[in-house]
Amino acid sequence: MITLDRASLRYGPILGLSPTTFELPEGGGITGLLGPNGAGKSSLLQLLSGLLPPSGGEVKVFGEAPFRNPAVLSRLGLVPEGDRLPTGLRADRWLRMMGELSGLSGEGLKAAMIRSLDTVGMADRAHLTFARMSKGMRQRIRLAQALLHEPELLILDEPFNGLDPEARLTLMALLRDLAAKGTRILVSSHILGEIAQLTDRILLLFRGRLLAEGTVTEIRQLLDRHPVELRLTGEAQILARWAVEQPELAALRMEDGAVVISVRSPRDILPRLQKAAAEGHIPLLALDPLDLNLDAVFQYLTKDHA
Amino acid sequence: MPIYAPTLPPAPDLHQGHPPALVLMRFDLARLWRQKIGRFFGFAFLMILLWKVARIYVDHLLQTNPAFKPMQDFAKTILTQGAAFQADLLNPASYLLWFLVALVGGGLVARDTLYRVRPLMYAHPVAPKDYLLAKLGFASLLPFAILLPFALLPWLMSLVLAGLHGPVWVTAPLRLLPAMAISSVLMGSLAVGASSMASTPRAGIGWVLGLVLGTGALSAMLRGLTGIQAFDALNPVELAEAWPQLFVGVDRPLVAWLPAILGTAFHTGLWTFVAARRTRPSEAVI
Repeated sequence: MITLDRASLRYGPILGLSPTTFELPEGGGITGLLGPNGAGKSSLLQLLSGLLPPSGGEVKVFGEAPFRNPAVLSRLGLVPEGDRLPTGLRADRWLRMMGELSGLSGEGLKAAMIRSLDTVGMADRAHLTFARMSKGMRQRIRLAQALLHEPELLILDEPFNGLDPEARLTLMALLRDLAAKGTRILVSSHILGEIAQLTDRILLLFRGRLLAEGTVTEIRQLLDRHPVELRLTGEAQILARWAVEQPELAALRMEDGAVVISVRSPRDILPRLQKAAAEGHIPLLALDPLDLNLDAVFQYLTKDHA
Repeated sequence: MPIYAPTLPPAPDLHQGHPPALVLMRFDLARLWRQKIGRFFGFAFLMILLWKVARIYVDHLLQTNPAFKPMQDFAKTILTQGAAFQADLLNPASYLLWFLVALVGGGLVARDTLYRVRPLMYAHPVAPKDYLLAKLGFASLLPFAILLPFALLPWLMSLVLAGLHGPVWVTAPLRLLPAMAISSVLMGSLAVGASSMASTPRAGIGWVLGLVLGTGALSAMLRGLTGIQAFDALNPVELAEAWPQLFVGVDRPLVAWLPAILGTAFHTGLWTFVAARRTRPSEAVI
């Protein structure tokens, strides 16, 4: 569905996105585009949504270059960042124009508006002006705009910015629902928690470079320099004695009622740990991976490349 | 892992719609219609139009009614029926028309800049040239639509009342319509170019008025310094007034043919170029 082959983007002398290569397969699902401010997320989204041509390399969406390509643009929906909408304008009038720009008209447009407003739960409030809507409502209208022509690829740039927790959860549920129905969704964010809540599959950008791509677990396994930390809760002395005998052990520290071990290859040690616990050789009460989450992966990757 | 669905629902037919430029123009027209400024300008232009039509009727009465015979000589001095009279039909308070163009045109691009609508439009099957065409078309059609009754109504009334020998030439529309078109494109391109340099509609209005008055002041200064009258062609207000005079063949037009052509090409080209540069997708930051 999306292929980048050494695609880069320059803004004059400034490199917005270094040569980047990755591929997103066909089909539904949510991919998180993660990175701090200035990482190149918006640059990548501009390339994918056909706003700019790549300065080098090649970008393909649905097998074609998206820049000024109606065949591609009519199959994707964009929800740009920000909350600026013409305050005095009624949402339904704005939606109608956007639908017409997508090539819809007449009854088809009416049906599309009803369907997309229903999807975002705004069917009864679309007659309001943007000034009379809450931020969450405006965000849902922006999403409805992107859904009018039933795109196969939905691109959202920082969609959770400024939303309260309830609106955030509602939007996340909506996106999950759309993904389940077959829409491929690409969501950018600089907040780890948002992406972690929404999806496991990420593209991690940092300083204009794509640092990692895949699921959190897949990426974590590639970080050989940073052994995985596991907290073993139980009889700390006995657990520690068992751990030091393991060849994968890189470090060990004692805690109250637990031992934290750093291991290089968790896939090898975990079956042995499981077996030892099952056979009663070690008094293991709980096992917690401490840095198998997105937060830790992000920290390691950005530190390594800083 | 992501959830993969086997198929998507059938996509809607996206090839039934109207051209994007037309959609955008219609949206701007609907927005203008909902704004109330049309009432003031509508009233003002209607009054001017009525005055012009009334002059033709009075002229008709003077020609045909013996009771007005003594007034005929006096009337001839105020009812010019030569080329200048024909050109004056298209002069409905020139500054009022420029003010309307500034008020409406100044916000055309600036509003989209303020609300960051352009990236969203360009993420649809809308090319930058469609966008530019829509804005230029709307900003040019607005003065054209206002001037149209000024060219046609007096002509029609003159034709109905006095036939081929009325105060308005039978061929007047053939001369006035091209002049209107050129003046309207000049106004529209300047308004859109100025609006593209602004980040809010109010600033856009300021830019249009600033450019109109600024280039007018520059042309007056250059003419004063050099004594060359051709510098008047830098003044868009004079240019817009000069075109009807040139087409109907006024003896001493405000600007001569060559400077008018060069001045109009300069303004139209420059401001269209500015608008095209300022509305490129690369200017549309998401």
